[in-house]
Amino acid sequence: MNERCKRINRELVAFLYGELDNNTRERIRSHLDICPHCQEELQGIKELVRAADSLNDNVEEAMASVDWDALPNQISDAVFDHKSALPQEAPRRSFWEILVQRRLKPVYAALLVGLMLGSLATLIVMRTSLLRKSRGESFSVSREFLDRVELEMARRDTLDYLEKSQYVLLDFIQASPEKTPQSWRCDLASEAAKDLLAKKRYINPQLDKFHMAKAKEICDQIEFLFFELTQVSDQLTEEDLQNIQGLIEEKQLLFKIKLLKRDLEESEV
Amino acid sequence: MEITRSAEPHNVPLLVGRIKEGDREAFMEITRLYQKKVYLLAYSYLRNNEDALDVVQETFLRLYQKVNMFRSEKNFQTWLLQIAKNLCIDYYRKNYSRNKDFRSDKDVEEVNVPAQNDKNSHSFSDIKRVFVECLDRLTEKQRMIFVMKHYNNLEYKEIAQILRISVGTVKSLHFKSTQNLRALMTPYMGEKT
Repeated sequence: MNERCKRINRELVAFLYGELDNNTRERIRSHLDICPHCQEELQGIKELVRAADSLNDNVEEAMASVDWDALPNQISDAVFDHKSALPQEAPRRSFWEILVQRRLKPVYAALLVGLMLGSLATLIVMRTSLLRKSRGESFSVSREFLDRVELEMARRDTLDYLEKSQYVLLDFIQASPEKTPQSWRCDLASEAAKDLLAKKRYINPQLDKFHMAKAKEICDQIEFLFFELTQVSDQLTEEDLQNIQGLIEEKQLLFKIKLLKRDLEESEV
Repeated sequence: MEITRSAEPHNVPLLVGRIKEGDREAFMEITRLYQKKVYLLAYSYLRNNEDALDVVQETFLRLYQKVNMFRSEKNFQTWLLQIAKNLCIDYYRKNYSRNKDFRSDKDVEEVNVPAQNDKNSHSFSDIKRVFVECLDRLTEKQRMIFVMKHYNNLEYKEIAQILRISVGTVKSLHFKSTQNLRALMTPYMGEKT
């Protein structure tokens, strides 16, 4: 038996009982014309159907024995005479009907109240955040305040710079070649000068922005001094030390720093 | 599953509506319309007149009880035969299965039909008896489908709706039931059945 015959055989029962569409029926009929094996198979099914038909006599006999006119009366008597014992079952409710039943109304009311409260809370929270946001957007109104903050920061940074510079310069003034070892001088020169040069670069824009001309002039002089110091710090000789000390005294840097610090402290924002 | 309507009297929905209101005449009319179909299914499955009549009565009792659950978009005959089918299966399980030498869900290979010496000497009544015996040895579903198709002349579509399975499954189970019956009947019907 080839594959085609196997497929046809699976359809033969439906073919015999008239359950196939026209195309399939025709296809099977054509195959049966040329295939003795499938013809034999169909014959076997027909024999079985005949065997099944052998019970038809019994069925007909049994049906003939029933009083069909009386049966509905008997059944309805059984149903209606015991009606109280056979109540009709309530109709099956659909999902929608279950949802809209009256006893669930308190649940829905509670849900509705919860929903409304939740919405209100959300609205309040969102409104507050919106207000905050809108305040943030009108920050230009308080730009003055921002400027004052920046000015105060510039003032403090400058004060800090002056104070540190003052200490370094004082160290230089008080340093003497006999008491101060060479290594100390070199470290002092390189580390302090580099730090203060960096700090100066940071406060430069602030000094420009707020037109702190006097402070800028003194800070520039200090910067120049530290710059010179870094150039010679590797081989800081006694002569260099004396030159720097002279320069500090000549320009009265410590005095100027003191005055400027006082001015800045007085002008606290 | 596709719901199809087999041809049924036009007044059936009206009668069903009246039964819901407790109308006795409508109930009797519906009983008159469908009693033979229910009986045919029950008798073909159980092959006992009294039992089949019991199933018919019980089916219409259930119809009255459950009529509110019937949805008008469904086919009434299919719905009624679903009730009848369930009752037949329950009835069979209660009253028939326990006295059998085998259970209906046994594989065909396990079934041991007594062999006959002279294969061609069976009388017509022998064939009937043997066929009934072989039919009993099919699985519950195969037997129900064979009975519905052969004796009730139901279409595959209707059977599928009653059993709540696909048409393809009905077709496949009908084929298997036929093959199994042929295998069981072979010793009684000659070499090629």
